[in-house]
Amino acid sequence: MLLSLALAVTVLFVVLRLLGNPVYALINLEATPEDIRAASAALGVDRPIFVQFADYIGGLFRGDLGTSFSSHLSVSDEILRRLNVTVPLTLISFALSVIIAIPVGFIAAWKSRTWYGTAFSAISQLGGAIPVFWVGILLVTLFALNLGVLPAGGFPRQDWADPLDALTSLTLPVLTIAIVSGSELARYVRSATLDILDRDYLRTARALGQPFSTALWRHALRNGIVPVISILAIQLATTFVGAVVVENVFALPGLGDMLIAGIRQQDFPNVQGVLLFSTVLVLVIGFLGDVLQRLLDPRLRSSLSGNRRVKASA
Amino acid sequence: MSSTRRPRLLVGLAALAISAIALTGCTSNAGSGTSGSDKDPINVGSIYEPTSLDPIKGGSSGITEAFTGNVYEGLFRITDDAKVEPLLATGYKVSEDGLTYTFPLREATFHSGDPVTAEDVVFSLNRILSPESLGARKKQLSVISNVVATDPKTVTVTLSKKSSSFVYNLGYVWIINHKAKDLTSTEDGSGPYTLADYRKGSSISLSPYTKYWGDKPKNAGIEFHYYTDPTALNNALLTGQVDVITGLTSPDALPQFEKSGKFNIIEGTSTTKELLAFNDRVAPFDNVQVRKAIYSAIDRKKLLESIWDGRGQLIGAMVPPSEPGYLDLKDNNPYDVDLAKKLLAESGHADGFSFTLDTPDSGVHPTVAEFIKGELAKINIDVKINLITDDKWAEKVYGAHDFQATMQDHVNDRDIYFYQNPDFYWGYNNADVQKWLDEAEAAATPQEQSDLIAKANKQISDDAASVWLYLNPQLRVAAKDIKGVPVNGMNSLFYVSKITRG
Repeated sequence: MLLSLALAVTVLFVVLRLLGNPVYALINLEATPEDIRAASAALGVDRPIFVQFADYIGGLFRGDLGTSFSSHLSVSDEILRRLNVTVPLTLISFALSVIIAIPVGFIAAWKSRTWYGTAFSAISQLGGAIPVFWVGILLVTLFALNLGVLPAGGFPRQDWADPLDALTSLTLPVLTIAIVSGSELARYVRSATLDILDRDYLRTARALGQPFSTALWRHALRNGIVPVISILAIQLATTFVGAVVVENVFALPGLGDMLIAGIRQQDFPNVQGVLLFSTVLVLVIGFLGDVLQRLLDPRLRSSLSGNRRVKASA
Repeated sequence: MSSTRRPRLLVGLAALAISAIALTGCTSNAGSGTSGSDKDPINVGSIYEPTSLDPIKGGSSGITEAFTGNVYEGLFRITDDAKVEPLLATGYKVSEDGLTYTFPLREATFHSGDPVTAEDVVFSLNRILSPESLGARKKQLSVISNVVATDPKTVTVTLSKKSSSFVYNLGYVWIINHKAKDLTSTEDGSGPYTLADYRKGSSISLSPYTKYWGDKPKNAGIEFHYYTDPTALNNALLTGQVDVITGLTSPDALPQFEKSGKFNIIEGTSTTKELLAFNDRVAPFDNVQVRKAIYSAIDRKKLLESIWDGRGQLIGAMVPPSEPGYLDLKDNNPYDVDLAKKLLAESGHADGFSFTLDTPDSGVHPTVAEFIKGELAKINIDVKINLITDDKWAEKVYGAHDFQATMQDHVNDRDIYFYQNPDFYWGYNNADVQKWLDEAEAAATPQEQSDLIAKANKQISDDAASVWLYLNPQLRVAAKDIKGVPVNGMNSLFYVSKITRG
């Protein structure tokens, strides 16, 4: 995990610097070549790249993500402030998409031969195929512009001081993400369910006289949940990424907005900060997903302890 | 069968959760902006978020819009109709030789409580002239050779040469408390508003400064809300989240506002000129006839019609009607395809040629570039459009002069002096123009200054130094109950203290 992180940090640092000199994002049409040189020196981007890199890595070890090239504000302060938007947005959307996906996916599989099973399956195909920003635009047109019941975008200046106000601002963005990512998740749930319904052990359980619901609950769920957890971990990470796009559509001042503005202004410290943070987050979520899977699946646990035994005897 | 109940239950739960979320939205007031009374702040929407609160470190038009004249003040103020009037200075005296200016200062205090003194003026002027400063007007203000505080309320500035636009340029220099420490997340100006809250990426809130020396703001405060997407900005006004938007980037949304009947569309003049700029150093654009041929091949009237729906104005040179030196030159290089062909033949390019047009991918530039491509095809000139980002433009075109021709909108007021600088990106080099603009700076009277600028303006037009396609209109849209919105777009100035609701 640390290796992937180190690799990500290095690649990011180098690739960003291929984009050009960030000082050009700051100048006005009167800047002379001397001004540009002096301003480059003030940003420190006139130094050799490995000096800049060493400086950056040194900062990281001190927990310092640097200072924005454009606003000159602390990158970590800025990230922390924006988590007030992005974290609730991601978690609520994720929870909602799970709530949508599990019944929809399950019914689509279990009742696959009925008209509504087919309908659910078609809806989840469609929902997953529409680009997320397009769903956002449709919802804004309907709920904000035509019905006037929800704001078209923005987030209260006081953050969560008035929770109802904050939740209202997040309603359309949450629905947008939940529709798209819920549909994707529903497709996984559907195929996982189809897979289980065909299994011998389910048939055996029924043959032993267990009602369908008991068989499902005792055997199918425990077996079916394991692959779904790894999907959920991936999906949580995807939801986080989806939040980036949605924040732009709804003018939400979250991490996604910071990333996009940072790229546009060649604000390397801000871009590096957001991407580093996201990378760590995705790696941590993946790690937790693995741990959870092992806890739930005895087979994974025994193969781990099996390995240990082999090592110990060697 | 009992087993069917569970999925139903789940579906029910999901439906409940969705409707609960939707209901939270319905019950609270979605449009908090327009429902306010005069005790609520005015909500201003803009797409120009300041990149930083301190333009010395590289700025944008956003900070001029939000702060100049609102939070910070200069010694002078540029008014909405492009006049200069005293602000923190009560006036000025010039020595006989035009090189020494004396500015008596008004009694005023900074938001921190400190009085505005001569020392602060010295600090602020030196700050903009410092080597790493990227402040606006730095180059023109570099005629300053010395600034001293003669006494706590008097500043004396010595210039290295005469500068008739010196006082005007001071209108853009903020006077900052020399004791101020953090200018990137706070401020210490003397304007009618203090910075109440700064949310990078989203908003800037201004509260009235109770000890302001001049007329008190007529509103309870201002909140600037920033949007990256123009559609999101328009939606914010349509749904009442903001009361006024500072500028439309295209007229596409106008019918929406007109149809609803709930908005006033405020049309003023701007100082933003849309240019097709040649690299006058390189062939074939070093040839005046080629440039004139291209100018005459482009139907600017049709272009303005299609981009701005007929709003805005045609200009034939750099100086817009609001500024000294304006001449009506819109037909100086007339739209005449036959003339264009003739000029092109005389220049030795009867069969046409091909060139690359570096086009910023922002705003209307790509659309205008496509239009130009179509027009020039008529005289056998093949345009290859190369889309680049704004930053790439700054690096490639502005910094390295590595281009044949480009598109750009020039926002600044009184910026004809760009044609005086042969090292500017377009590389126009004419000794007469340089001399006249120098003399205009040294002019004794405003009339003399205006006449000399007009001569230079005529010359660059005769030389088709660039193609001045049109002058943008300034379009602001406000809810019907909002009054006192500045009409014109002088650079990006947006004085908010007279905006009222109801």
